Amino acid sequence: MTIPSADPAAPSRRVSGRRTRWTSADLSLIAVFAALTAAFSVLPGIPLGPGVPITLQTLAVMLTGIILGPARGAAAVGLFLAAGLAGLPVFSGFSGGLGVLAGPSAGYLLAFLPAAFLVGLLARMVLRRTRRARFPLLFGAAMVTSFLVIHPLGIAGLMLNAKLDFPAALAADIAFWPGDVLKNLLAAAVGVSVLTAFPRLVPKPR
Amino acid sequence: MKSSPDFLGSYRQGSSPVHRAPLALKAAGVVVFSTGLLAAGSLPVLGVGIVLLAGLYAAAGMASEAWRPLKLMWPVLLLLGAFQAFTAGPEMAVLVPGNIAACVAAARLLTLTTPVQELLDGLVALARPFRFLGADPERFGLTLALMMRSIPFLLGSARDVRHSAMARGLERNPRALTVPVVIKAVAYAQQTGDALAARGIGEPGD
Repeated sequence: MTIPSADPAAPSRRVSGRRTRWTSADLSLIAVFAALTAAFSVLPGIPLGPGVPITLQTLAVMLTGIILGPARGAAAVGLFLAAGLAGLPVFSGFSGGLGVLAGPSAGYLLAFLPAAFLVGLLARMVLRRTRRARFPLLFGAAMVTSFLVIHPLGIAGLMLNAKLDFPAALAADIAFWPGDVLKNLLAAAVGVSVLTAFPRLVPKPR
Repeated sequence: MKSSPDFLGSYRQGSSPVHRAPLALKAAGVVVFSTGLLAAGSLPVLGVGIVLLAGLYAAAGMASEAWRPLKLMWPVLLLLGAFQAFTAGPEMAVLVPGNIAACVAAARLLTLTTPVQELLDGLVALARPFRFLGADPERFGLTLALMMRSIPFLLGSARDVRHSAMARGLERNPRALTVPVVIKAVAYAQQTGDALAARGIGEPGD
């Protein structure tokens, strides 16, 4: 059932007073991308390379930022984290609850929120400026986010919760780097395809 | 479209005192228990905590459930214990993995004894004190409900996409496995947003 919207050119946000407020279309995108992150967290990984399956959780976080932009992207990932911390089984392995905050991977999980914001911000800058070089630049935006946000916070979590010293935490973290590069390539490719399919989601050039 | 049975949450029905305790009390209990355990960082406190947890699991009639998180986590905990034994001595080798396991078990007791709907309502109630900052619990609750409703749809569409990729011999092509899922997700979000807007649900109040 498709209900055509009254005016396709209507702005996606209504400005009331000082704050821009989200419409029901925005809320719906936020909810569905939070659900997408949850679905990608519990699905078995995709076999990438010689038999090493990768989980899709960080892929979903990057895609959410790239497609929804910084504010809605961070809101979607925040909603996913809030639901998971409240005890809904949306984290990988169908786990959930406050217990994950004491676990070794807590840093990575909490890093998803600023990561979605930063990759969304960088992606907006890329999408406003270029059409042809989107793929390499979106990949660059995802890599910057990985190494500026996800890995430092992940290492901090390992040091704090697993009581590892810095070299050990770094060594554990490096194990995720090859998979991360592949996932960011995939996130950029999927982002370009989806934004081509839905040009209304692309921010207007300035 | 069948949703994964695991996704209904890990709630086990019962009428024990632990089941009947108000959610706010249980949530506060988990927070106090975990922070106390981690702040103390001593073996005797961990011992008392484990005895307390065992008592509560027994009171809830779920003594056999207490071991479930360990089934998933034991490789990580064992690795962590071995590393701590090597670098920090036998006390840390028990304390670090023990604290993590106890925190996870405490949080799991909450989700085992609380229905999913009550968890969702509790999360919305948590947003209520932040009204003065512009939080909107009604719209937050709507978005949360939309998210939970979307997860089975997305899991189903991911499975369908995987099957059709397999039929075309593309089950190892990560783009063929992800692009259609995300495009379907955006289309689903836009339909839902239009349906909400047509009914005047979830629009920002003036």
